[in-house]
Amino acid sequence: MICPLAEVEEVFKESFGAVYQCSRKNCYWLEFKDTTTAFKISDFFLFKKTIDAIDIEKMLSDTSRTADFELVMPHRTDRCFILSAQDVLNLREVLAGAKFMIELNSEVKRILRKEAVLASF
Amino acid sequence: MKDLLKLKTSLAEDIENILNAQVKIEAHASALYLAMSSWCDDQGLDNSADFFAKQANEEREHMLKLFNYINNRGGRAISPEVTNIPTDFDSFRGVFEQTLLQEMFVTEQFNNIADKCMKAKDYVTFNFVQWFLAEQVEEEYVARRILELFDVIGEEGTGRWEIDKHLVKVTFSGQE
Repeated sequence: MICPLAEVEEVFKESFGAVYQCSRKNCYWLEFKDTTTAFKISDFFLFKKTIDAIDIEKMLSDTSRTADFELVMPHRTDRCFILSAQDVLNLREVLAGAKFMIELNSEVKRILRKEAVLASF
Repeated sequence: MKDLLKLKTSLAEDIENILNAQVKIEAHASALYLAMSSWCDDQGLDNSADFFAKQANEEREHMLKLFNYINNRGGRAISPEVTNIPTDFDSFRGVFEQTLLQEMFVTEQFNNIADKCMKAKDYVTFNFVQWFLAEQVEEEYVARRILELFDVIGEEGTGRWEIDKHLVKVTFSGQE
């Protein structure tokens, strides 16, 4: 459940997950597999790097039972993600989409700020 | 939607990544020079051992300069893992040849960083790496001059002792 004090705005949404931004607490909320997890800005990008670094090929080719799932426990969250190869792919898609939208928003804001300042001359 | 990204960091992701890669290169160079120092010491080449120990410290200082810059700009500097450091070297001359090649490699990396900064219009980081580029002129000069001592003095007889004695006198007096 997302914090009731949060002022969330949708960053990116897919059928299997979404990312929201809370501009009150300056954090991102990840909605994935019926759970929600809050990340500070840098933690969010670190989490994305962790997910991107998972070796899916190894998961699929390794025949041991433990290789079917990847455990990810991000610091400063109380969450433990148990991810199958399909989950990793889905999560990557959500995080990549969110990252793109975050960067797009940043770029749009930069241009608007610049225009606003120049227009005042 | 509030721009949280800019509130956190002034560094673009690819610039942060390339700077972190350079942190690792500097850490590797520092460990490599320390290994060379140990080898020289083992061979009875006291001045060369001191020279490389000093070089190792310098490389670590360069690493920390980059490391602190990343953090100061809101990025996250990564303490690097350093592996594959040799413990043995082929020859006295070979150690200095490797040093020159290492320094030329570092120069190339800083050129790449400067190029990326230009393309990303990150002139703050571009300005920051100018110090390293200037430093590389000295690093390459010293390594090349010492290597030339092997031809000037020769390794025969007491040549190795002479080279070890004279290499501490190699200094860079600037570009004026």
